[in-house]
Amino acid sequence: MAKRKAETSGPAEESDLLTIRPLGAGQEVGRSCIMLEFKGKKIMLDCGIHPGLSGMDALPYTDMIDAEDIDLLLITHFHLDHCGALPWFLEKTTFKGRVFMTHATKAIYRWLLSDYIKVSNISTDHMLYSEKDLEKSMDKIETVNFHQEVDVNGVKFWCYHAGHVLGAAMVMMEIAGVKILYTGDFSRVEDRHLMAAEIPSVSPDLLITESTYGTHVHEKRDIREARFTGTIHDIVARGGRCLIPVFALGRAQELLLILDEYWASHPELHDIPIYYASSLAKKCMAVYQTYIGAMNENIRRQIAVSNPFVFKHISNLKSIDQFDDVGPCVIMASPGMMQSGLSRQLFETWCTDKRNGVIVAGYCVEGTLAKFVLSEPSEIVTLSGQKLPLRMSVDYISFSAHTDYEQTSEFIRILKPPHVVLVHGEQNEMARLRAALVREYEDNEEINMEIHSPRNTQAVELYYRGEKMAKVMGSLATKPPHEGQTLSGVLIKRGFNYHLIDPADLSSYTELTTSSIQQVRAF
Amino acid sequence: MTSIIKFTALSGAHDEAPPCYLLQVDDFCFLLDCGWDPHFNMATVESVKRQAAWHLHQIDAVLLSFPDQAHLGLLPYLMGPMELKCPVYATVPVYKMGQMFMYDLYQSRKNSEEFDLFTLDDVDKAFDNIIQVKYAQTVQLKGKGHGLTITAHAAGHMVGGAMWKIGKDEEEDIVYAIDYNHKKERHLDGALLESLSRPHLLITGAYNALSVQARRKERDQALLNNILTTLRRDGNVLIAVDTAGRVLELSQLLDQVWRNQESGLCAYSIALLSNVSYNVIEFAKSQVEWMSDKMSRMFEENRSNPFQFKHVTLCHSLADLAQVREPKAVLASMSDLECGYSRDLFVQWASNPKNSIILTSRTAPGCLTHTLVSNLKLPSVDLEVRKRVCLEGEELEAFKTKEREEKLANEASEKEAEVYESSDEEMETGDHQATPTSPSLPPRVPKHDLMMVEEAKARSSFFKQTKSYPMFLCREDKTSWDEYGEAIRHEDYQPKDLPPPQETLPMDTEAEGDDKSEETAVPPTKCVSQTVSINVRCSLSFIDFEGLSDGDSVKRILSIVKPRQLILVHGSPDSTNHLRDFSLSSLGLAKGKLFTPHVGECLDASTESHIYQVKLTDSLMSAVGFSQARDSELAWVDGNVQFTSAAPSGFKGQGEGSGDGVQQRTPLLNALPHNQVKGHPSVFINPPRLADFKQVLNKAGLQAEFSGGVLVCNKCVAVRKGEGGKIKLEGTVCEEYYKVRELLYEQFAII
Repeated sequence: MAKRKAETSGPAEESDLLTIRPLGAGQEVGRSCIMLEFKGKKIMLDCGIHPGLSGMDALPYTDMIDAEDIDLLLITHFHLDHCGALPWFLEKTTFKGRVFMTHATKAIYRWLLSDYIKVSNISTDHMLYSEKDLEKSMDKIETVNFHQEVDVNGVKFWCYHAGHVLGAAMVMMEIAGVKILYTGDFSRVEDRHLMAAEIPSVSPDLLITESTYGTHVHEKRDIREARFTGTIHDIVARGGRCLIPVFALGRAQELLLILDEYWASHPELHDIPIYYASSLAKKCMAVYQTYIGAMNENIRRQIAVSNPFVFKHISNLKSIDQFDDVGPCVIMASPGMMQSGLSRQLFETWCTDKRNGVIVAGYCVEGTLAKFVLSEPSEIVTLSGQKLPLRMSVDYISFSAHTDYEQTSEFIRILKPPHVVLVHGEQNEMARLRAALVREYEDNEEINMEIHSPRNTQAVELYYRGEKMAKVMGSLATKPPHEGQTLSGVLIKRGFNYHLIDPADLSSYTELTTSSIQQVRAF
Repeated sequence: MTSIIKFTALSGAHDEAPPCYLLQVDDFCFLLDCGWDPHFNMATVESVKRQAAWHLHQIDAVLLSFPDQAHLGLLPYLMGPMELKCPVYATVPVYKMGQMFMYDLYQSRKNSEEFDLFTLDDVDKAFDNIIQVKYAQTVQLKGKGHGLTITAHAAGHMVGGAMWKIGKDEEEDIVYAIDYNHKKERHLDGALLESLSRPHLLITGAYNALSVQARRKERDQALLNNILTTLRRDGNVLIAVDTAGRVLELSQLLDQVWRNQESGLCAYSIALLSNVSYNVIEFAKSQVEWMSDKMSRMFEENRSNPFQFKHVTLCHSLADLAQVREPKAVLASMSDLECGYSRDLFVQWASNPKNSIILTSRTAPGCLTHTLVSNLKLPSVDLEVRKRVCLEGEELEAFKTKEREEKLANEASEKEAEVYESSDEEMETGDHQATPTSPSLPPRVPKHDLMMVEEAKARSSFFKQTKSYPMFLCREDKTSWDEYGEAIRHEDYQPKDLPPPQETLPMDTEAEGDDKSEETAVPPTKCVSQTVSINVRCSLSFIDFEGLSDGDSVKRILSIVKPRQLILVHGSPDSTNHLRDFSLSSLGLAKGKLFTPHVGECLDASTESHIYQVKLTDSLMSAVGFSQARDSELAWVDGNVQFTSAAPSGFKGQGEGSGDGVQQRTPLLNALPHNQVKGHPSVFINPPRLADFKQVLNKAGLQAEFSGGVLVCNKCVAVRKGEGGKIKLEGTVCEEYYKVRELLYEQFAII
C-alpha cells in the first residue's frame, strides 16, 4: 500500500505523506511524545516528562510544533513519562484539540501528578505547573472505554488492553483508511491482576512500538517470582532490612499481591512486618478497587466474593516518623529509581550494613541512583553530598511489565505491519532490536518490512497512497454502472468518506436541505 | 440488490407485554430481546415455539437491551429447556446485572413456591453464551452474518442499557431502540438516539407515547415528603423496586438525601432488601465507567465510590431486615409485587394506616403493582399468599420414613458398588457440589471431623492456595475486652432451638435454595398457598421512577431522527396508534414505510437499496471545488465510469456476501471532458435561518428588522421564507438589494 512518491504538492489534506516525529522517547526512555501527521490531521501520542531531568529540560521538544494545530492528543497510561507534561501542555500552550485517556488512567493521573507536584524537589518558580493547573486540566480530559470507537474530525480511534499497568491502552487510529497502532508500553504476559496485551484483529499499516528491553528475554514469571521471594526471605532471615524501591503505582500492586501471598503461606515470617510507604498508593487503592473491568478474568471473578486488593500482611506506613527501625522488615517505598524521597532516605540509612539488602524491581533510567547502584559501586554519594560505603546487597529482579524480544517479535509476526517505528528505548537497545528484527525478516520473500528508529525531532516520512472511494447511492445508482456512463451529482465529503448522490436525494440521505431563491425586483 | 428485512413480533406489540422480536436481515436472524412476563406466561414461549418451528435453530444471535426480566427473562428458558444455541450480545453491565436479576427472581420464587421452569444452572449456562461488549464497540459478525456489524449505544434507563445499531455495508442502518431514556439522571447519562440520525429502519417502542411526567425535582420532592411524613408518624415505608436496574438510581438518591443533615432523615433507618443486594451494590461499584460523567468525575475528584453507601443497610432476608431499627424505609425487590420480599412486606404492612407503600414503576399488566397503580384508592385486594413452611406432624414423619428408605436404598447400592465411604458424607458432598455457583448462596460447608478451615476460602481466593494439613479441630475464640470487662455475646444468652436431628437432613435439591439457615441443617419444607383478602389501609402512591422518556420527548426525538422506515412496537393500542398518527403527519413517512405489527405478524420491510462504489481519480478530484455546509463539504461532479480491467462487475456484493479472496474491481470515475459537460442548474443547499441571516446583515452594517415573519432590511428589501424552504427576496433595485443578495448567497452552499 505504501509507495514512494517523489513530490508532495497541494494542500496537506491531499498529500499522501505520513510523518512520525518523536518529540521525546526517540532513542531514549522517558518523555514519550510522538507526533503523527497525515492528511492534514495532527495527532500527539502521549505527553510525558523525562524522570532524569528537571524543569523545562524534562519536557519533550514541543517547540518543534505548533500546539494550536493539534487535533487530538491520546494518553496511553498514567506513568509520568507518558502523561507528566500533560497539565503543562493543556494549560500553558495554545493547544485546543481534544484529549482522551481511559477511565482508570484519568482517575490515577489526578492523584499521581498531584503527588509529583508535592515531592518535586525543584523550587516552585521552576515548577512546570501547579495543583490548580492540574485540576483545570481534568475538565479538558475526556474518557474512553476499551474497544469503544471514537471519531474526531475524521480520525477514528479505539483502544486495546495493553497489560503493563492498570488502564494502560494501545491505540489504533484510522485516518483515511490507513491504520496506525501505537502500543504505548505493553506486556504480552498475563500477571496477577492484569491481562496480557490484546492482539488486534486487524493488521495496522504502521506499528509504533516500544523497545525498552530491546533484545532481552525476560525470566519466566514463576522463576522470577521465586527469586524475588527467595531473596527477600534470605535478607530478613539474616536479620537485615529489605528495601524495595518501587514506583508507587502500577507494578507495586503486583508486588504487593505476590508478597501478601508469600507471607500467607510462610507462617514463620508473620512476625516480620511488610510496610508499604506510600500515601499516594493508599489514595489510589479505591481506583484499583473500582476499575475491575480493566483487569483480568481472575480478578473480575474474584470481585463477586471479596476484593483482592485488601491485604492481610501488609500495613501502610504513613511517614518515616511512624517507623520504628528496630529489626528485620520489608519496606516498599517510592520513588522507584531512588532519585529522592523516602526510598532514597531509607537507602542512605541502610546502605552501610551488609545484612541489609535492596531489590531493584523496575526499569531504571540512566542517571538515577538505582541505575548507578546496579553497577555495584563501592561508594555512593548522598543527597547532602556525603560519601557512604555501599555494603548492602543489591539485587536486580525486573518486574517491569514491558514487552521483551520474544513477545515483540511474536506480536510483529502476527500483525505483519509493513512499517515499524521503534520508540521508547535506549539507543543501543533499540539498535539491537532493530538489527534482530531486520535479520528475522531479511530472508522472507513475502514480508517486506521496514523498521525505523528515529531520534528525537527526526521525522520518519512514509507515503500511503490513499484511494478515494465514493459510494454512489439513491436514484443515481438504480442501474448498475457500465463503461462510459456519465455520472453527475453532488459529491458529499464528510471526514474521509465520499458519497455521490442526486441533488433530489439530498434530504433523504443527509440532514441538509436544498432551497431556491426567488427574486422579485420592483422598479 | 435487495436487502431482505423481515420482522416478526413474538411478544410486545400492540400491548405492553415484554418485548421479544425476530429480525431477519438477509440470511441472518436476530432475536431482539427475549422478555418474559412476571407470571411466566407460556403464551410467549408458545409464540416463540410456533414461530420457532423453523426459527429456533435459525436464530443466529440474540441482542439484549436491558438486564431486567422484561428484556431477558426468557433467556435461561430458551438456552436451557429449549436448547437454543447461539451467541448473545450484551454490554458488560447487562451481563452482570442480568445475572443478578435472574438469581433474585429464581430465589424469590423458590422462597415461596415450587419453581421448576428453569434452574440456576440454566441461568449460568445462558449467561455463559453472552459476548460482552462496550458502548460504541463495533462487532463484525462472521459466517452468515458476514458484512453485518452490530454496535451498542448508551440508552439510559438502566446501567449498561443499550440501543442496538445493526449496520450493513456501513450504509444500511437498522436501529433497535426501546425503553430508552434521553434524560440525564443521577447515575446515568441520557440516550443520544439523535446521534443515530436517518437510519434506514428504526424499531422503537410506543410505551410512553401518551405519558406526561412530572419534573424531576418535583418528583424527588414528592418521594422525600412521602418518606419523611411516614417515618415521622412512626410508620414504615416500602418502596418496591427492581433487583439491579432502577434500584441504583433510587438507592443513590436516598443515600445522598440521608447524608444531608438538614433533611432530618438521619434519625431513621433505610435498607435495601433483595436476595442479591450485596452483590448488586458491589458490581455497581465496579461499573462507574458505565455511569454518568458526573459519577466518574465525582469518583476522580474525591475517590469515594458513589455506591459506597453511608446509610443504606444491605439486607438479604427478612431476618436481616428485622435487625434494622424501626421506623424504616425499605427498598425491596421486585417492583411488580408478584413475588420476592416486596410482596412479603406488602402483605405485612398494607393493613397498617401508619405505613406507606410507594410504587415506582407501572410494570406489566396483570401484576399486583399494575392493578394498584391503576386504582390507588383500592380498599382491599385479594392476594394469593404463598409460603414455604416446615413440614410438621404426620407429613414430617412421612418424609422421614421416605428418607430413611432412600438412605437405606442408597447404602445398599453403595455397598454393591463396594464403596467404603460413609454414605452420610458422600451424600452431603454430592449435595454441596450440586449447589450452583451463585454468589447469593453461601456454599454449604461440608462437615469434617478434621479441620479443613481454609478450604472454602482458598477455593475462591485470589491468592494461591496454601497447603494446609488436616488436623484435629482446636479453635481458640478470641475474647475482646474493654474497660467494662469482657464483651457479651448475645447469642450465648439466647435460648437455643434444638437443632434438627442429623438424619432429617433433606436430600431433595430444593433445600439448597434456602439460604436463611446457614450451616444448620435445612428442615424439610413444603409450599402452601392461600388466598387472603388484604385491606389496603396504608397510604399508597405511585411515583414514576421508571426512567423512560416521556411522550413529548419521544415525538421530538423521532422528528430529529427521521427514520426512513419505522416499526412501532411495545405500547398499548392507544399509544401505538397515537404515535403512528404523529409519525404519519409529522415525519413525512409514507404509509408503506410505517408499520405497527401485531403479535405473530411477519412483516416485510425489504427494500431495494441501490449502492455501489466508484474510485475517484485524481484528475476528477483536482477539478472539484468544495463548499462547506454544516459538517460536510459538497461539490458537483461530472464524471464517466470506466472499468480498468475486464472484470465484469463493479458491484459491491450485497446479497451474495462474496468471499474475500475474489477481489472485485471497482470502476473508476474519471473527469468528463469539458466539452461534454452539460452544465446543471445550481443547487442551493442548507438554507440559513432568517434569524441567523439577520445577524449577518447587522454585522455587515445593514439594518434588519423582523416584521410579521418577514425580514426587512433598510426598509427597502424584504426576505421571506416560503413553502418548502424557498426563500423569496423582494425589493426595489438599489445598492442594498444587491448587497443583501450577495450576503444571502454567501449563506448557502451553492454548487
